[in-house]
Amino acid sequence: MRRQLTYVIGIIAISVAGLAYTFAAGNEPLLGLDLQGGASVVLEPEPLPDGQEITEETLDQAVDIIRNRVDGLGVREPEVTRQGETILVQIPGVDDQQRAIDLVGQTAELRFRPVIEQATFDDEVSFNAALAAIEAGELDGAALTEAQAIVDRWTLTPDAATSEPSVLQERNNPSFQGRIRMGPVPTVLEPEVPGQRLTGEALESAAARFNVQQGWSVAPIFTSGSPGIDDFNVIAAACNAFQPSCPAGRVAIEIDGFVESAPSVNAASFERDQITISGSFTEEEAKDLALALNFGALPLELTPQESRIVSSTLGEDALDAGVLAGLIGVLLVSIYLIAYYRYLGVVAIVSLLISGALLWSIVAWLGASQGLALTLAGVTGLIVSIGVSVDSNVVYFEHLKEDVKGGRTIRSAVERSFPIAYSTIVKANVASLIAAVVLYTLTVGQVRGFALFLGLATVLDLVATYFFMGPVIRILANLDIDLARKPSTYGIPKARDATPESATTGGAS
Amino acid sequence: MKTLRMLFRNEHHFDFPAMWRTALVGSAVLVLISVGALVFRGLNLGIEFEGGTAWEVTAPGVSVADTRDALGGTGAESGKIQTLGSDAIRVRADLDTQDEVAVVTATLAELASVDVTDVSVTTVGPSWGDQITSKARNALFWFFIIVAGYIAVRLEWKMAVGALVAVAHDIVISVGVYAIFQFEVTPATVIAFLTIMGYSLYDTIVVYDKVRDVGGRLTVTGRYTYSEMMNQSLNQVLMRSINTSITSVLPVLSMLLIGSVFLGALTLQEFAIALLIGILVGTYSSVFVAASVVAYMKEREAENRAVADKIRAREGESGTRRVSEDDVALAGIPTTRERPSSSGGRTSSSQRSPRGQAAQRGAAAKRTQASARTGQPPKPRKKKKS
Repeated sequence: MRRQLTYVIGIIAISVAGLAYTFAAGNEPLLGLDLQGGASVVLEPEPLPDGQEITEETLDQAVDIIRNRVDGLGVREPEVTRQGETILVQIPGVDDQQRAIDLVGQTAELRFRPVIEQATFDDEVSFNAALAAIEAGELDGAALTEAQAIVDRWTLTPDAATSEPSVLQERNNPSFQGRIRMGPVPTVLEPEVPGQRLTGEALESAAARFNVQQGWSVAPIFTSGSPGIDDFNVIAAACNAFQPSCPAGRVAIEIDGFVESAPSVNAASFERDQITISGSFTEEEAKDLALALNFGALPLELTPQESRIVSSTLGEDALDAGVLAGLIGVLLVSIYLIAYYRYLGVVAIVSLLISGALLWSIVAWLGASQGLALTLAGVTGLIVSIGVSVDSNVVYFEHLKEDVKGGRTIRSAVERSFPIAYSTIVKANVASLIAAVVLYTLTVGQVRGFALFLGLATVLDLVATYFFMGPVIRILANLDIDLARKPSTYGIPKARDATPESATTGGAS
Repeated sequence: MKTLRMLFRNEHHFDFPAMWRTALVGSAVLVLISVGALVFRGLNLGIEFEGGTAWEVTAPGVSVADTRDALGGTGAESGKIQTLGSDAIRVRADLDTQDEVAVVTATLAELASVDVTDVSVTTVGPSWGDQITSKARNALFWFFIIVAGYIAVRLEWKMAVGALVAVAHDIVISVGVYAIFQFEVTPATVIAFLTIMGYSLYDTIVVYDKVRDVGGRLTVTGRYTYSEMMNQSLNQVLMRSINTSITSVLPVLSMLLIGSVFLGALTLQEFAIALLIGILVGTYSSVFVAASVVAYMKEREAENRAVADKIRAREGESGTRRVSEDDVALAGIPTTRERPSSSGGRTSSSQRSPRGQAAQRGAAAKRTQASARTGQPPKPRKKKKS
């Protein structure tokens, strides 16, 4: 009995601790996009042209680059994950979803551009003044043209052609003074295709380095000849001499309409493997820049296979509906259980609550630490698991009733039935678990989320049954009070003297 | 009412084997109809499987005809347009380029006088659905193999066959209902079908476990055929099956109800319809299909045939007899966890409670509860484990 009591107290303590931790840590289940609104897109890599296999590494790099891009959009909490061969991008919130979806899968180029100037505080002031004046409609004639020129000069043009000057934002500096105006992308000396410009093709690799004097820096290595170091040296010479094409003396590295870095050029000519981009980089910044230089363009061509935009109203509606359906479901099941099994029903409900509390803690923890979102499919999985959890109770209770009908006292029936019923429950739950594991491993998307939550609920059902439901009923049956001895407490009908059809009597031979 | 009371008191005695024949004919007809519907009508597959785009927008008072008019020229006017609940519109069309999709989105936003971001859009590429389908098929295949293996090891291989026949039966009928009524098949539906497999198996395993339990004890008497023993087990397990189904159906009904009220809850509703059908069919199949398949196979085992012949010679005719009250009591008491196929009239040494006492209690089964209690209460087994 002591052991039973330990189990019951133990599992209640664990559930309460779990809930307390969940609340204390502010963990909440992370809602999927179908429940909170937002955009998601599944990207699938196109087969590589030379029939090579797509490696895990390439996919991971693509994920990193896409994450950078989405972060650059200023979206809150984007979620970029690999799912087998595909990449799932999830963007909560409602602003600019279509643009985000369009952008994530594009293969963008890395470009080198001479910097003309970077915005200053004065530029910001005059830009804002000009913009305000135009919007107020105070200006006309020459004053309007002049104001318009100031605005145009500093308006971002991330989509400008490579042959045009453009104004781009520094990726790590979203303020006005992070705007850089730069010239067209220079053409290469020996183009492989007509009009070829200086892009990431000229780079061989890049690595983040550390030394004591300079701290973290990035060392790019160009390919020899052209396109390669020769072309870079043309632009370096122009910048180093502050020629009109490069008055700021800096070279900007552009990816996806953002400036990754715009280092000053302090030599007219470089060896292809002797270049260092230094600055007050942190380790992370240096590594990000090296990554960007290495794979400025996505290493893969990705095609959107499934894109989904859920408006936040529909999402919230679905969440409300899911929660309400769950609550009503629990209520109906509770009424039925109490009506049929009386006090056993109460035990079953508490058992359900315990596995529910554990499940909530786990789901919230997974959401907070693993970024695992609860989708509508997951919610349905949870609602379904209410029924499955109660099944285990029913299996035990019916066994109990049968034993009592077979002539046992409640106390001995309780003792005897549990191991037998539990063995049945384990067999049945293992089959569910097999289903969950197979589905989780072999499928994608919604089915996967469903399988995960169903599997979790099944395991917790086994735990709650073994450590709570079983022990509590044993304790109850052993209590020295009238209530514990009455069969009606257990929803067991009073035994009659003889069943109507039992004509034959006599001992077992 | 009387039947209900008998069920509650576990005093019912249905003759299941007598119903099997009728039930199996019924099942066969349903399966044929389902397969026929699948072949001739096919499934109404959602965009997730066929590719295309679906839009959903809250638009109170906008009719299907209004929407079709507004969409004229966008390429979506020939698509499927339906209302969800009372104030939302769903459009489904075979468009998947970004530009075409954006035009329809803008048109719908204007029609509903909402912002473009308030329109929900789902676009699926044409090859994506094939992958999902082939993955699900693959998963299903491995699931069948592993579960069959598991049941064969934990129970026996004939039961594995029975369980898989029952599961296949449930899936075919559930899918058939979708083909007949042309409900849209979405990933939610696929999930529901997979859940149905889970339910069906759970029920079937509970039944089989009971059959093994009861069978292990009744077979040793050599007085009952396998079907009679099965009948006894099914009667004992019936309330369990009914109750597990009721408790499973209740949350599903709640989903169905809520799903029809809330417009964002289309998934819930789709899911609930499939589940409701599946649970009902699954409960039926565990008692009628899974059990009868195993009984059919077991009756053909030499050992069981010998027993059946002997009984027939003695009793003069065949048919399902009730297990006598004494043996019911015997069956209610644990003696052995042997496999049902082992016979020989000796009890296994693995029994845990003293056999004599057990038999006595068996005979005392019909004495009142009170006398059993005041008489000699059996001591609770002192078992350290668990």
